[in-house]
Amino acid sequence: MTQTTMEADSDMEALFERVASERACAPATIKAVQAVPTAQPVGAESDPFDVFQRVGSITRKLHDALRELGYDQAIGQAVNSLPDTRARLTYIATLTGKAAERTLNAVEQGKAMQEALRADAARLSADWERLYGSQVSAEEFRKLGQETRDFLGGLPARTAQTDAQLLEIMMAQDFHDLTGQTVQRIAKIVQFLEEQLVKLLIDSTPPDKRSQLKDEFLNGPVVDPTRSDVVADQGQVDNLLESLGF
Amino acid sequence: MNAADMKILIVDDFSTMRRIVRNLLKEIGYANADEAEDGQVALKMLRGSNFDFVVSDLNMPNMDGFELLRQIRADEKLKALPVLLVTAEARKEDIVTAAQIGASGYIVKPFTKATLEEKFGKILQKLGLQAA
Repeated sequence: MTQTTMEADSDMEALFERVASERACAPATIKAVQAVPTAQPVGAESDPFDVFQRVGSITRKLHDALRELGYDQAIGQAVNSLPDTRARLTYIATLTGKAAERTLNAVEQGKAMQEALRADAARLSADWERLYGSQVSAEEFRKLGQETRDFLGGLPARTAQTDAQLLEIMMAQDFHDLTGQTVQRIAKIVQFLEEQLVKLLIDSTPPDKRSQLKDEFLNGPVVDPTRSDVVADQGQVDNLLESLGF
Repeated sequence: MNAADMKILIVDDFSTMRRIVRNLLKEIGYANADEAEDGQVALKMLRGSNFDFVVSDLNMPNMDGFELLRQIRADEKLKALPVLLVTAEARKEDIVTAAQIGASGYIVKPFTKATLEEKFGKILQKLGLQAA
């Protein structure tokens, strides 16, 4: 961790402690609701025969109409969120890549430790087999006893090392939570984009094709912004597109 | 009460994260843990049983960590429960809100076993309990 990261962490920690202790001392207060400022009434003193006023008024009406249809902001928003989506996808790729690397490193180290343990145990076992075949001297017996004692004594520390690698593998799985949340956000953006495009498609359908649109598309869940299951059904979107010849 | 016997509720909508926290808690000496996938489920479990500690994520569907904490602090039976909030970003406004609502502590993801142990120790110390 860099010095600045550590400083930032302790700043945050200090901020938390300060606010928490303020809360403990102060009586419970209800957060005052900010009064919403009332909209300024439109000035009624403008000269109705002033060309400037009339042009401004028409521009206002046009702007409001576009805004009411929801196109300018909605589509703009969806399009603007695409670079963000790209960044999020890159983030996911990076995070999952790092997690995979971390896991593989831990696996390789863990396997090496396991192999060393196995090799030492196998060697000792073979020596003991020779002993029971009465092929060792008293000195060798003493030496083997000591080596076995050392091996057993060292086992807790060695298995703790392997355990640490397993823990590392487990910790590396935290990518799922972080990437999962990002994926959900991206899915929302994509869904929103599709909704707006479908809406635009329906609203701009020429009169001769309008009859092909079933009632459910004009009034149904796909275009109804108050329904919570908007565009939840891909089948509906497919049917709509098909009915318009796409 | 022996801290090692504490019954801990882990609240997070990602099962992977719940498992990681559960295993980490075991590593630092707390083996008695249960899980909930959002604030609503957590609240039900807290009211229906006797928990000693809550570790909760912030971003969850149905009821997020802040709302869960508010409900806990407003409940006569639960108001003194230690709550450790888990956040993915160390945003100032989140940390201030956490402190204002009455979180016992916060921890930023991804965290290590050592950090979790430190945060737990701090909270228990404030409560006058010895860490496991």
